[in-house]
Amino acid sequence: MASEIILPALVILIFVVALIKKVDAYEAFISGCKEGLGLFVNVFSSLLAMMLSISLLRESGVFDILSDFICKIFPSIPAPIFPLVMFRPISGSASLAILIDIFKNFGPDSLAGKMASVIQGSTDTTLYVITLYFSTVGIKKIKNSLWIGLFADFVGITLGILLTLKFMS
Amino acid sequence: MSKIWSFMILISLFVGIGSGRITSLNQVLVSVGQETLDFALPMMASTCFFSGVMYVAKEGGLMSALEKLLRPFFRLILPDLKNNPEALQYISANIVINMFGLGFAATPSGLKAMQLMQKDNPKKDTATRSMITFLVLNTAGVTILSTMIVSLRAQFNAVIPTDYMPYAIIATTCACIAGLLMDRWCNYRGK
Repeated sequence: MASEIILPALVILIFVVALIKKVDAYEAFISGCKEGLGLFVNVFSSLLAMMLSISLLRESGVFDILSDFICKIFPSIPAPIFPLVMFRPISGSASLAILIDIFKNFGPDSLAGKMASVIQGSTDTTLYVITLYFSTVGIKKIKNSLWIGLFADFVGITLGILLTLKFMS
Repeated sequence: MSKIWSFMILISLFVGIGSGRITSLNQVLVSVGQETLDFALPMMASTCFFSGVMYVAKEGGLMSALEKLLRPFFRLILPDLKNNPEALQYISANIVINMFGLGFAATPSGLKAMQLMQKDNPKKDTATRSMITFLVLNTAGVTILSTMIVSLRAQFNAVIPTDYMPYAIIATTCACIAGLLMDRWCNYRGK
């Protein structure tokens, strides 16, 4: 499989360039790791909040009721995908919680798991980015930026679903 | 968000109790903290690893090389920033860091770019054209390697954790192009 080579090739490229440029690769690696460690503190709390609501939605049967309904409209798409499609543009931690939920219950190599990975990787959290960036500089009139962002999400997610159905099932 | 979140919790509790799934609800309430930690810890550990590798890439100048490569493209889609090369520089840094899946590391340069654009903004409470184009580029941004997804897939024993990547790259590229075209079209119509 060609995609198996992506990661090792990328690491080789990075370290060869670092060697040529005489960069202190070890120091750079360590400071990158530290940055990642700081992320944990920020992400854990919001991830926990979202895991709580997502787990409850699933265990209570609310997801089943919704999925049954939507499956009648789009029969070829795996049902667990729909919550992800709904939450992807709204909340990064919620969609991450749903992704974990799908991996846990169906496995990352199931159709749902693959499709969820592609969807999660195909867009960023539009609402979060727009709120953060505009509020930081004090802009209130955001014109049509939200709609354009959501439109792009829609294109990315739809394409992600179609590509997975065509090539990975 | 807070309302949606509370609503999700309440509705599931009511539906769950109504349909007699009280045992599984209890199960979730008692164990969700432990479970989240079980996922989050290994995920963060391998995100740390990727973050480390990407910092080596950054120090080695791979990212700034890509930035230079993309600069003409940014100049083309952000014509209003002709006289603001500094903002343009922060924008390309932001987009390139995002490409490598280091979203959290990209935010500072993105906010800096917003502040620089805000300085030249005649109407301080209204978004400028360049700001909107930049945010479209950012939210629909092309991501080559999403460190978190790869880490998670590896953690759940995917046969090839990176096998979803080619499709995600195609989808994200098309989403980005679609967003930019839509942005252009809106500008064109607005004139």
